[in-house]
Amino acid sequence: MEAFFQALLGGLVLGLIYIAIAVGLTIIFGTLRLVNFAHGAFYAIGAYVGLVIAQHIGIGWAFIAAPVAVALFAILLDRLVLRSFYDKEPTSQLLVTFGIALVVEESLRLIFGATTQQYAMPAALQGSVTLGPITYPAYRLLFAGGVILMLVLVWLFIEKTNYGLIVRAGIRDRVMVQLLGGNIRLASSIVFALGAAIAGLVGAAATPIYGIDPATGFAFLVPSFVVVVVGGLGSFWGAVLGGLLIGELQSLTNLAYAPASSVIIYLCMALVLLFRPQGLLGESEVIRQS
Amino acid sequence: MKQTLSRGRFVAGTAGAAALTFGGGPYVIAAPTKEITIGLNVPQSGPYAEQGQDQLRAYHLAIDEVNAKGGIMGMKVKWTEGDDQTKPGVATENAQRMIERDGAVMITGGSSTGTAVAVSGLCQQKNTIFMAALTHGDETTNQNCHKHTFRRYNDAYMSAQSLARTLVTKYGTGKWFHITADYAWGHSVYENLTAVVEPKGAKTIKNVLTPFPGTKDFSPMLQQAQAAKPDVLVLTEFGADMVTCLNQAAQFGLTKSTKILVPLVDEYMAKGTKDNFDNVVSTAPFYWKYHAAKYPGAKKFVDAFQKRYGFPPSNGAETAYADIYIYKMAVEKAGSIDPAKVIAVLESTKFQFTKEQEWYRKEDHQGVNSCLVLEGIPESQRGPGGFEYAKVLEVHEGDKVVAPIGSLACKMEPA
Repeated sequence: MEAFFQALLGGLVLGLIYIAIAVGLTIIFGTLRLVNFAHGAFYAIGAYVGLVIAQHIGIGWAFIAAPVAVALFAILLDRLVLRSFYDKEPTSQLLVTFGIALVVEESLRLIFGATTQQYAMPAALQGSVTLGPITYPAYRLLFAGGVILMLVLVWLFIEKTNYGLIVRAGIRDRVMVQLLGGNIRLASSIVFALGAAIAGLVGAAATPIYGIDPATGFAFLVPSFVVVVVGGLGSFWGAVLGGLLIGELQSLTNLAYAPASSVIIYLCMALVLLFRPQGLLGESEVIRQS
Repeated sequence: MKQTLSRGRFVAGTAGAAALTFGGGPYVIAAPTKEITIGLNVPQSGPYAEQGQDQLRAYHLAIDEVNAKGGIMGMKVKWTEGDDQTKPGVATENAQRMIERDGAVMITGGSSTGTAVAVSGLCQQKNTIFMAALTHGDETTNQNCHKHTFRRYNDAYMSAQSLARTLVTKYGTGKWFHITADYAWGHSVYENLTAVVEPKGAKTIKNVLTPFPGTKDFSPMLQQAQAAKPDVLVLTEFGADMVTCLNQAAQFGLTKSTKILVPLVDEYMAKGTKDNFDNVVSTAPFYWKYHAAKYPGAKKFVDAFQKRYGFPPSNGAETAYADIYIYKMAVEKAGSIDPAKVIAVLESTKFQFTKEQEWYRKEDHQGVNSCLVLEGIPESQRGPGGFEYAKVLEVHEGDKVVAPIGSLACKMEPA
């Protein structure tokens, strides 16, 4: 029983990491209709910026520098490359973002080498916390709390600000927003930078737990895509629900039969695609339009 | 599209045409060639990249040393490299390219039993010697043994025997929990360890397999270990995976509450796990500090490596270095690079380079040499660079811990 509760908590934390990456993916898709395979690269860049800053300045600054650097990189990418692909068919977008992901991964390999690197978490957070029958690493709990806080902020941005209004309207009908004079270009840029910054921050914050090598971004991108597909493309709550589902499913499968844990999430995705192609909370229109 | 000819195909085609013109591999050419090529096939990316890169350093050092002293039988040694990415498919592609395009007469390298077994099969077909370097699973010389493959590195059986002998006298037995990489090597280590410690009274609570490669989060497995409260926790992970796994185990408080056993370690894994490796018990076939103090050949190697790269070699690097010298010895004694003649020498010759006098068994081509049981020391005592990572608990002689010939599943091809 203890092991079961441990696995539930572990699944929650894992799910929150997936959600944190998936939310960026899904709001970018919702607003820009961009299938962004370069999102894992944002995670990796954030992690490496965090690594350099943590080793030379301090871990606190790493968590500030990583999202800022990644947001700037994303804005450049958006202006120079992606802009001309917004109105192209998904296959071109997929190819160009996949290409960017490969270029980033190989560049990181050239600069930092292929080996896994890590930086230590603050000494005060290296221990573990005991909650009833469960003992859990303190840093992971704080990380999970941080992700929840961030999700609340993103939700407030989407629901309560004017930019958020344009974003939401854009998800429903991009052309109509433009006809009504909404500045969807600016909103798009902000959303793209925001989604990238979140991935960068998660990369920096997760590195003390998982370490970083040039391929790590991709390792997290794939399950995050599964989360988005399961939850529904473009849906914020879909990403949250999908992430929790996938995280728990993976964690509990690990308890029952670990070798199946990497397959189970794809099985879950296949089932969702068969019986509810738009995803659990996705709107069918999104699929038809794209 | 169809008319274009890629550069790779063009080069391969040219090499093939050249091979046809000269009638087969270089070893049948009557006049001695001026150069021979050795294929260095190691992981330069993926979880075992650090191990692969250190082997590459040692290969380069050994080949440059050999060339400075006149090469092998007067032939200059050239090398060709490949990144096997710790994937059997990529490893065999590389090896095939090295043999067919570059004319490699010997393939060496590998940091995984999965890649070693795959490359071994290919080299057997291609009539090319394979000096398997860092591969620890039994399969390489036991179940999947081949006439053209020689493995000097300790196998899992030897490590398990050594660990069990030292551990049972030092720590007793108790409840054992295993976290095991889900591929040939992990299975081999698990089976060997349980086979030796269970009859002595150890109780296996559970074995959790972790997907390989690519597991980043070991927390689900570690949580199960935490709940089971074992006396001994065995982490059968290697390279960066072991670093991640042990560091995460420490986050769960497991390094404090249980005795941790890592069946195989090297310098980079100890460095990556810092103080979490303190008190961890493991094995290694070579430890630069121990061997350099004991054997002049090891001292010469460690000094030269240190001089060239600025830090000491890992145990994988040592086996890579020795493999080049062993091949040179065998070719010169055979008076030919003809694989059949080289194999005959390797099967029957005792040699000494960096350790005690050692040899390959004719029956399975497993190297018979010593196995060290080590215990990690705190980071503060590890000296500059952190390469002095352990104290030697016990040294087991190779022929005392190697699998008995009668127990082998190896069916060696006839010569």
